[in-house]
Amino acid sequence: MLIEIFQHLFRFILLVFIQVLVLNKIEIGGILNGYFNPFLYIMFILMLPVNINKVLLLFIAFLTGLTIDIFSGTPGMHASACLVLAFIRPGFLNLIAPREGYETTLRLNISGMGVRTFVVYAGVCTLVHHTVLFFIEAFNFVDILNLLLRIVTNSFSSFALIMLSQVLSQRTKDSTL
Amino acid sequence: MRNFILLIRRYHFFILFLIMQGLCFYLLVMNNSYQRSAYVTTSNYVVGTIYSGYSQLTDYLKLGITNRQLAEENALLRQLDTANYYDQHFHWNKEDDSLLIQQYEYLPARVINNSVNRINNYLTLDKGSLHGIRPYMAVACGSGVVGIVKDVSPHFSTVSSLLHSDTRISSKIKSNDYFGTTVWSGNSPVIGQLRDIPSHAKVKVGDTIITSTFSGIFPRGIVIGKILELGNSGDSFKDIKIKFSTDFQNLSYVYVIRNILKEERDSLEAKTTTHAD
Repeated sequence: MLIEIFQHLFRFILLVFIQVLVLNKIEIGGILNGYFNPFLYIMFILMLPVNINKVLLLFIAFLTGLTIDIFSGTPGMHASACLVLAFIRPGFLNLIAPREGYETTLRLNISGMGVRTFVVYAGVCTLVHHTVLFFIEAFNFVDILNLLLRIVTNSFSSFALIMLSQVLSQRTKDSTL
Repeated sequence: MRNFILLIRRYHFFILFLIMQGLCFYLLVMNNSYQRSAYVTTSNYVVGTIYSGYSQLTDYLKLGITNRQLAEENALLRQLDTANYYDQHFHWNKEDDSLLIQQYEYLPARVINNSVNRINNYLTLDKGSLHGIRPYMAVACGSGVVGIVKDVSPHFSTVSSLLHSDTRISSKIKSNDYFGTTVWSGNSPVIGQLRDIPSHAKVKVGDTIITSTFSGIFPRGIVIGKILELGNSGDSFKDIKIKFSTDFQNLSYVYVIRNILKEERDSLEAKTTTHAD
């Protein structure tokens, strides 16, 4: 139990560092600028225990988002998106749950859930998070097509990065990531 | 209250989510200049629209009050017009003469209301008791007799015009001093009647009728009019039609005449009458 908490804490620190120090610094110049900014840190929220208290999940998600916000200089933006993600997560997990329900020891990763379920889980959660995030960033509906395009491309890049990290952690037999 | 707690317990997750989203929104707006400006602009638009709609509604509901205020303001502005100011500058024209004691004083006054087409016609003057005008003072103008003061207020006075069924002016024929009473015949504003002239008096058309001092109201010698027509009634008194010299339809400035010695005379006459009884 305690080890599990430290695992999550370690994942939190690692993902925040990767997000803040590496992924936020990505600058694709030219026409693609702003379309491929992956947000890998949401994987931390995705991988929190399946039976976690919903209220605790909300607080953790809020603090995670706020941490990213503090480093990005955008207070409230990621926190809000993460709150939405944490809000829909329990319901969405129930929706895609197997007929017999989840085992309390189930790990919410690609090996624990299976590739298909995890792809749906991560894909939908990423899309929801990014939709909220980019709508808040734009804060208007003026250039809605461009906004939707940005949501799709950024969600895709984030999702790709999440899947990549999952595959990599599988191959090294290290389930931390 | 119990239901409220149940509601909170049932939806605590959603409520907490909303509260934290509110906090996020607060942070977002307070710390991000773009979102703040967007928020402020939006809120200004929304709030401004609501307020302008509200003010249109209340403007409509307040039309009555607004009209009254405008009317008051109009009245105030009109009041500033000098035509509306009451001239406090006045004086009784008085002569100091060691040989003669002045008995009649003249106060100029402006006619501010007048009528000629009723049975009882009145004038209103712009001077009143503050200026010393009292009831039963005589009123005349440059061309002749006008009437007798009836009522006074501090700033105004009403005058029973000669064109009044009850007005009686002590008068006499200038050429022969026969005295009578002038009354209005009641139709034309220029025609009156001279009564009580004995039938043996020698009068002719065109003779001037002037005021007598018998009533103690008018000074002697103010023109009333000229004899227009001599009737023959067969009574002991003549029936004389006169034409007023005063143009009552065109009066603007008149004099109020005060008899300084009237009280003395009235009290003496009253004493005499009492003794006689």
